[in-house]
Amino acid sequence: MRRARPATRGRRALGVTLTAALAASLAAGCGALPELPGPMPTSVVPSFAAQVEPLGSENLSPDGFDAVKRMAVRIRNVGCSSLSTGSGFALDDRTLITNKHVVEGSKSLQVLTYDGRDIQVETASAAGLADLAIVRTSDDLPSAPTLAAADPAQGDTVTVVGYPEGGQLTVTQGKVVGTATDPLHENLGQVLVTDAQVEPGSSGSAALNEAGEVIGVVYAKSTDASLLVPVSTLRSMLDDASAFATLPPCS
Amino acid sequence: MPPPGGDPGPVPSRPPTPGPTTPQTSAPQAQAYQTAAALPGTGAAGPTAGPRRPGRGRTVAIVLLSALLLAALALAAYLLTTTRSWQDRSAEWESVSRGLGEQVAQLGADLDGANAELESARSQLTTAQDRITALANEKAQLGDENVASQQYLDYQARISEAAGTVAAALGQCTTAQDELIGYLNNRDAYNPDDLARFATQVDDLCKVATDANTELQQELAQ
Repeated sequence: MRRARPATRGRRALGVTLTAALAASLAAGCGALPELPGPMPTSVVPSFAAQVEPLGSENLSPDGFDAVKRMAVRIRNVGCSSLSTGSGFALDDRTLITNKHVVEGSKSLQVLTYDGRDIQVETASAAGLADLAIVRTSDDLPSAPTLAAADPAQGDTVTVVGYPEGGQLTVTQGKVVGTATDPLHENLGQVLVTDAQVEPGSSGSAALNEAGEVIGVVYAKSTDASLLVPVSTLRSMLDDASAFATLPPCS
Repeated sequence: MPPPGGDPGPVPSRPPTPGPTTPQTSAPQAQAYQTAAALPGTGAAGPTAGPRRPGRGRTVAIVLLSALLLAALALAAYLLTTTRSWQDRSAEWESVSRGLGEQVAQLGADLDGANAELESARSQLTTAQDRITALANEKAQLGDENVASQQYLDYQARISEAAGTVAAALGQCTTAQDELIGYLNNRDAYNPDDLARFATQVDDLCKVATDANTELQQELAQ
């Protein structure tokens, strides 16, 4: 009879253990059971849409021309017995910058925009110490660039937009070669030398840096280089109200 | 005190009252212990409870198995419900996915069409810009030609005017010279001083003609 005691206790312990194991497994199993699906979402499409800027639209105007071309103008100098053409660019809504030699000796000045619109000219004044001139208009100009804060460094890319030979609006590119003393002795101080191709008629063209800012004004060319009035000179002339004098008409 | 010679049995819930350990009192105590040992849920049985053990174990087993069966049935029911719910949800998602897939395909086709139209529009815009630039250039060239033509017309007018002046002066010069020649052929009939004054006036007229001709030549030389 005493031999049965351990077996009974063992079965009892086994039963208790099995019961506990069953309860534990049930409890654990309930925790691992998959849940019922929640309500079906009404929509899985996000309410917002990603805004993607179309490629190449950063400089576009309503008519599709970029700002570089919109700011350029063609200047026709009708003299008493002569005719010449040059280029220029808008400084603000009704002010143009060009070269003095483009507008001096004129009986009338005729300005055309990139799209062939005529712009009426009010006055023209030229600087005494640089080959620069300011033309005031009575009509609004399409677009105006900003002036760079400082002159470019050697090797910087330069873009020239103008009307070489009085022909079609042309954009050419090059690099700043360096600075030099003006060989024509028309400008005080140093002038910029670039390898951008220009022609007669390009005088007064804006030279732009990669950011589209004006870094100079084309005023002459040599064999394989173009000469620019640097933006620092332009700024100093614009800051001095007495630097420009009204040009007399031809006689 | 445990009964002598017997199984101690389960621990009573209440300790036996101490008393004299006489043989007369041992039998009732043993019976009491047997009765207590036979009570259900009191653990191991005494020597007389041995045959009941399989029944209790079976009962316990039946209870456990029944509980287990019930739990399994409940679990199966739950799993069945859950599975069907997920099947339904899966079908709904598949339907939604197929709808979205169709939308994606349609939007992809629309996007391809829009891109083609955009490319065409860009090409047209470039063509239009080139045309605008060319027209602006043509207008500028025509303006230059107009100005040049006007300047040429002005030049021609100046030439014509100068030529007319030259012709008139030359006509006056030759007329006066003819008149002077007539006077000189009959000089005795005229005062020599008057002839000399008239000859000077003729020279002046001819000099005016010569100057006008010089200006004309200069204009023509331009």
